[in-house]
Amino acid sequence: MITLTDVHKSYTKDHETIKGVSFEVKEGQIFGLLGPNGAGKTTLMQMISTLMKPTSGTIEIDGLTSDKDLLEIHRKIGFLTNEIKLDPLSTPNNLFNFFAALYDIPKDELEERKQESFARFGIEPFANKKIVELSTGMKQKISIAISLIHDPPVIIFDEPTNGLDILTSKQVTDYLLELKEKGHAIILSTHIFSVAEELCDEIAMLVDGKIVAQGTVDELKRIAKADTFEKAFFNIYVEHHVE
Amino acid sequence: MDKILTVFKWELHKLFSSWKKAVALFLLPAILLMASLNVFPLLINYMSTGSFNQKPVLIVDAPKSFYDYVENTVDARVYEYKYISAREFESMVNAREQFVRDLRKGLIICIFTTDSSRPGFDDEIRNYYTEISSGNAEAISTAAIHISYDVNSVTAESRAQQFHEGVLKGYQSGLIDELGGDYSIVGSSLFDVDTFNPVTDFEEYRTVANAAAARVVPGVLMIMMYYCVYSLVSDMFASERDRGFMAKLLITPVSRKKIYAGKILAIVSIVSASAYITMLLLFFSSWINRSNNAMSLLPFGMMLTPSELLTVLIAIPITALLMTAICISITFDLKRMQEITINLQLPLIYFLADFFLQMFRGTRPITLEYFIPMHNTLQLISETFMAQNKVWHVLLVYALNFAVAVCVLRYTFKKEESI
Repeated sequence: MITLTDVHKSYTKDHETIKGVSFEVKEGQIFGLLGPNGAGKTTLMQMISTLMKPTSGTIEIDGLTSDKDLLEIHRKIGFLTNEIKLDPLSTPNNLFNFFAALYDIPKDELEERKQESFARFGIEPFANKKIVELSTGMKQKISIAISLIHDPPVIIFDEPTNGLDILTSKQVTDYLLELKEKGHAIILSTHIFSVAEELCDEIAMLVDGKIVAQGTVDELKRIAKADTFEKAFFNIYVEHHVE
Repeated sequence: MDKILTVFKWELHKLFSSWKKAVALFLLPAILLMASLNVFPLLINYMSTGSFNQKPVLIVDAPKSFYDYVENTVDARVYEYKYISAREFESMVNAREQFVRDLRKGLIICIFTTDSSRPGFDDEIRNYYTEISSGNAEAISTAAIHISYDVNSVTAESRAQQFHEGVLKGYQSGLIDELGGDYSIVGSSLFDVDTFNPVTDFEEYRTVANAAAARVVPGVLMIMMYYCVYSLVSDMFASERDRGFMAKLLITPVSRKKIYAGKILAIVSIVSASAYITMLLLFFSSWINRSNNAMSLLPFGMMLTPSELLTVLIAIPITALLMTAICISITFDLKRMQEITINLQLPLIYFLADFFLQMFRGTRPITLEYFIPMHNTLQLISETFMAQNKVWHVLLVYALNFAVAVCVLRYTFKKEESI
C-alpha cells in the first residue's frame, strides 16, 4: 500500500535530513516510526503525505506517485499531526462541512458520516461551539474526525497522542486498532514506547535520518539484546548515533 | 471553479464568524480615518492657539463689494466671517486684554480703509477707475486692505496667508470686474461669472474639493488597502501555515492553485469592499462638510464622473491583488511568524512616505511614475480626481500591476511547490 524506495531529503546542499530510507506498509498493518527528536520522523511523514518532495527516491501510495497522481493520492490518505491547530473561531460542524465539500462528499452522505463520526468521538454536544472554547483532547478528536472524513485507506499519524490525557489517548489508540482491523494501512510516528509497543506490527527506528533497525517489537529486542523495548531502543540508538 | 468558491466562501465565513474581525477590517479603518481627518486639524489648531474652535475672520468696515464677493465665491465661503464697524473695532482694541487674548487664539483681522477725506472703499476704487479711463495716468487710490494676526501663532499666520491667497487676491480681481469693468478698454467685463447657474457653482465646488482629494484620498486608500491585505495574508497564509491548518488543506483532493486562488479571491474581495466603504465615507465626509472648515482636509463637493469612478473602482482590486502577491511572497520566503509580521509591516513605511509626498507635492506625475507598481495606482487615482487622466495611463497601470501580480504569484508558488 505504501512503498518508500531509497528516499533522500536535503534542505541544504551540505546536510541530508533523510538518508536513503526504504520500507513498505501493507493493508491492515500499523507501521511505527520511532526515533528521537530531530531524527527526521516529521520530514518523512510530510514527504509521505505529499507536503514535501523527496530530493531523490520514490514514494508510492497504492501504486501512485505524487508527480503524476497527486490529487488521487490525496483521496487515499488521511494525515494528522498533533501540531495542527484548527481555526479557533470555527465550529466542529462548520469544519466538517467545509472539508466534506473539499472531499466531494455528497450532501445525502454528509449528515450520516457526521453523525457517526461525532458520536464516536463524543463531539455532538460541542458540535456548534467555537474551537477556542474546547479542550485540547476535544480539538484532537475533531482533527481526527476531519482527517478521516473521506475514509482513506492510508492513514498517516504524526505523534497522534502527544499532549493528550490518558482517556483521550486510549480512545485514539483503540480507534487506530479498529481501523487496522478494517484493513487500513497506517503509518505512525511516535517517541512514546508504550504506544509503539501496543499498536505497531512493525517498527523502523530512525536515527539521524537513517533507518538503523526494523522489525517487530520482539525482533528489535533480539537485535539489541535487550529484555525491554525501551532498552532495545537505547542500545540501538547508542550504537548508531553519531555525535 | 466550485472548489475555489468553496475556499472563498469558507474564508468569508471565517471573517464574518467574528464580528470584531469584520469590524476591524471593514469599518474601523474607515471610522478612524474619518476621526483623524477631523481631529487632526483641530489638534493642530489647539497646539497653535490653545483653543479647539477656529476664530472667525474679523472684517472691519467691509464694503458692499466684499459682501457680494463672499456671497458668490466658493473659495471665500471657506471662512467664517464676523463683520464689525470701525467704531466697534476701536472699542475692541481699547479693551486691550481681551483683544490680545483673541489674537493669541488665532484671530485674523481684515481692515478695509481709505483716506478719511475720501468716500467709502467701493467709491474710492470706482473713482480710481474713472480717473484712469479719463486719461489720468497718475491717478492714485487710497483704498487699502490690512491683515493683522499674531505672528507667533503658526495657525494664524498660515490662515492669514491662505486668506490672502485664496480670498483677497480673488477679490482684487473681482474689483476690476465689478467696479472697473465699465471703464475697461474693450468696454465689457473682464470676467464672466454666471453666479445663477447651479452647474457652474457645482463645478466650482468640485474643482476645489477634488484638488484637495487628489492629495489626500489616493494615499489614504493605499495605506488602508495595504493594512487590510497585510492583516488578511497574515491570517489566511502565515498563521494557517504556522498552525498546520494549511497542511490539512493542501492534502485535500483540491489543487494548491485552487486553494490559493480561493484565498486570494477572498482577500481581494474583502480589501476592495473595505476600500469602497472607505471611499464612500470620504465622499460622505466631504459632502457633510457644508460649512467648509478652512482646516478641513476634504472640502465640500468632492465628486467623480461615472467614468472616473469606474477607473478608480477597477484600479482598487488590481492593486489589492498586487499587494496580496507581494505579501504572500514575503510570507512564503520566511518561516517564523515574528519575522513575517515585521517584514509585512515594512511596505507600510513606503506607503506612508508616498502618502506624505503626495500630500505636499507641487508637481504633476511624470510618465515614468506610471511604470512603478503601486505608486502608479496612487498617481492614477490622484490624476483621476484632477480629471487629468489619459486613457493609456489607465490601461498601463491596470496591465502593469496585474502582470506584476501574476508574475510574483507564479514565481512564489513555483518556488513553494519545489520544496
